Amino acid sequence: MILLQVIAGGLLLGAVYALFSSGLSLIWGMMNFINFAHGEFVMLGMYAALLTVLWLGGGPGVFGLAAAMALFLLGVVVYFGLIREVMRGPMLAQILSTFGLALLLRYAAFWIFSPDFVTLPQTSLSGTVDLGGILLTVPQLVAGLVAAVLTLAMHLLLTRTAIGSQLLAVAEDRNAAMLMGIRPDRMQALAWGLSAASAGIAGALMAISFPFSPAVGETFALTAFVVVTLGGFGSVPGAMLAGLIVGLIEALSAYWIGPIYKDVVVYGLFVALLWLRPQGLLGRA
Amino acid sequence: MLLSAEKVAKHFGSFRAVAGADLAVEEGEIVGLIGPNGAGKSTFFNCIAGDAAPTSGRIVFAGVDVTAAPAERHARLGIGRTFQVPATFEDMTILDNVMVGAFLRHKHRGEARDRALAVLELTGLKEQARQRARSLGTPGRKRLEIARVLATGPRLMLLDEALAGLTPGEVQRAIELVRAIHAQGVTLVIVEHIMEVILTLTRRVLVFNQGHVIASGKPQDVVKDPAVIEAYLGRGHAQAKGSG
Amino acid sequence: MTRWGLLALAAALVAYPWLVAGSDSAAFLQDMGALVLLAAIGASAWNIVGGYAGQISVGHAMFFGAGAYLPLLVYQHWQLPPLVGVPLGIAASLVIAVLIGFPTFRLTGHYFSMATIAVAELVRIVVGNWDFLGAAIGLQGPATARGWYDVIFRSSVPYYYIFLAVLALLILATWQMQRSRLGYYLGAIRAGERAARSLGVPVRRYKLYALMLSATFTSLAGSLYALKTGFIDPDSGLGILVSVQMIITAALGGAGTLFGPLLGAAILVPLQTATNTWLGGSGSGLTYIVYGGVIVLIARFEPGGLVELWHRLHAARRRRLEMRHAA
Repeated sequence: MILLQVIAGGLLLGAVYALFSSGLSLIWGMMNFINFAHGEFVMLGMYAALLTVLWLGGGPGVFGLAAAMALFLLGVVVYFGLIREVMRGPMLAQILSTFGLALLLRYAAFWIFSPDFVTLPQTSLSGTVDLGGILLTVPQLVAGLVAAVLTLAMHLLLTRTAIGSQLLAVAEDRNAAMLMGIRPDRMQALAWGLSAASAGIAGALMAISFPFSPAVGETFALTAFVVVTLGGFGSVPGAMLAGLIVGLIEALSAYWIGPIYKDVVVYGLFVALLWLRPQGLLGRA
Repeated sequence: MLLSAEKVAKHFGSFRAVAGADLAVEEGEIVGLIGPNGAGKSTFFNCIAGDAAPTSGRIVFAGVDVTAAPAERHARLGIGRTFQVPATFEDMTILDNVMVGAFLRHKHRGEARDRALAVLELTGLKEQARQRARSLGTPGRKRLEIARVLATGPRLMLLDEALAGLTPGEVQRAIELVRAIHAQGVTLVIVEHIMEVILTLTRRVLVFNQGHVIASGKPQDVVKDPAVIEAYLGRGHAQAKGSG
Repeated sequence: MTRWGLLALAAALVAYPWLVAGSDSAAFLQDMGALVLLAAIGASAWNIVGGYAGQISVGHAMFFGAGAYLPLLVYQHWQLPPLVGVPLGIAASLVIAVLIGFPTFRLTGHYFSMATIAVAELVRIVVGNWDFLGAAIGLQGPATARGWYDVIFRSSVPYYYIFLAVLALLILATWQMQRSRLGYYLGAIRAGERAARSLGVPVRRYKLYALMLSATFTSLAGSLYALKTGFIDPDSGLGILVSVQMIITAALGGAGTLFGPLLGAAILVPLQTATNTWLGGSGSGLTYIVYGGVIVLIARFEPGGLVELWHRLHAARRRRLEMRHAA
């Protein structure tokens, strides 16, 4: 029974991983660019939720939305202010740009918020649920389900809507998209906004269940890297699936080996993945 | 036979860029490859050069099966190629660009340098050896690419529209250069749109359309082939031309 | 750099400890000199793979840590001279280098960068929780010298000269590499990998050479650090800030240039020491905000660092002078 609980918990958290990793995968597939500050976006989502609760009160809907909006804005600003220029430059500039941004955001957060772990003071989601012997907390359940829905929504947005196909057109062939009247710049900015927003909401969702500090961004970034690699280059459905798998592996490792080493297992599997199947599960050639 | 490409196909998902093409090249030939844009010529080139792995088919060079080999291996064995859009090393000097090529067969800096200078002499770039590659215009860049590849000592050179965008005078000079390279014993396969170049330089031409070879033979004959005319200009023109 | 400039630089570096010996804070200044050189070694080592080969490692601390931990490990457990651990550190670093480089160098550059963070973090967690390796407490070297082989000096000056010798060796090796086939091939890979392949450059193999060379010298830097300070723990040896330090030092001065890392070290080490003195503990928090900001600025405006900036301003000035002459 405990094992099933662990598995359920792992999958629920994995759904949240899938959410923010899809955002990273979107950018990677679209611009061949890895945002090394993506983990910090998740972390900032957590703090955005915190500030919203402290200043405005309100329930999960409010602070979730606030986190999404704040991070969407940040994503767009980062695109226009930094990414657009750096994309034309050498690889060094591209990688260092978001790596430096990650440092800047992380240490600014340490400075502003202090390195102590904090929890989100909210009471609307509390208690536990008993699903046939498996005990899950309401926050855990809500976070996982909402994340799953949002990730699916993002996938549908990309594949079924007009704006989604415009985004994918730019990803496929920038020049051809321009000839069709699509503005790549706007689409890429939108993608950055969506990517950051997905990270922000994911952060807000996790903040409901877990205490957090500015240090957590680093770990989420690595989780995202593993998930997008396992999912495959540029594949949002791949990231969805891989998120669940990684969440599951993490939970089982924590259960069988210990919480300290769960990350070691995940990173070790990452290296193995690079050796044996770097294209991941659903990667494009 | 120096190069033999049999039933080479390259699919991108459901799109068949190359749908089964054959090419046989004897040592010492200059073979032309023509066809409308999007016919699959460059993709075919990429397969021969090792840049892309064919979906099916076989490519044998100098007795070695190179179908699945990476581009580096193709180059080592003696296949060199230029790119449709020149890919020179912009921030490096012209000399350094060519030295990168020379290092393939010459391990030491001194020898590589000597070889590079000799090639620059042949291609008429020696004066500009110390300039950055980015200071060259497109014709200069194409010439530099040829020099760079030549420095690798290839047995077979694949020129992908190396003469496109040149003025008539530059085209003449380029034709001279290609002849000089051929005289040194290099076999050539050239993709071109400029008929004059094809007629002057090549003894044999293959015509590509929609991923496979639709005609082959002597250049003078091929340009009169109705199938070829149709491929380029459409059905109406072929009928208007009659039997040529 | 001109031959005279080089000579002047060498003379200044050799004479530095002697030049500051007369001042009140001689010991402090000499120590800082040694730290500048050590930072330059680490940054120059990173520069080989990050600057010249264009493969951005953001986890280089793992090589530094291997080089720092193994000497102190062999001392702490078996009372061997720490020097014995130096080649062991290099060996461990080479293994890690191949483990990461071999699979990722046939893929796009992002995979390599992601892998370096992941493995560096993996190593840090494992070391930080394994008692044999000191866990969170760390390892210590000999308190006093049992002989010359323990490489323990009271003053910073002998360390200064050892570091200077290693830096000189590293710069010489980098210069030789730059002029050799390896250097040209790495430049080609950076300038255009597809074109490089078409010219027969064995891309994966050469990237690995660069990484292994870089890892070796980074490990050496770690060993020198351990020999000088006599102490290492997961933060000082394997933390992300160690990696950040190497990157910003090289990038600020000029990644891919011969003397950029030394320039970066000469600027950043005194600056960091000064802010630490002014602002105390809270200073370090601010330092990393600034570091992050500086890295972003470098990436956005001048990826070639100060050396590139100098060249650009110099060229602009020359053009203006020419125009004035023409007018």
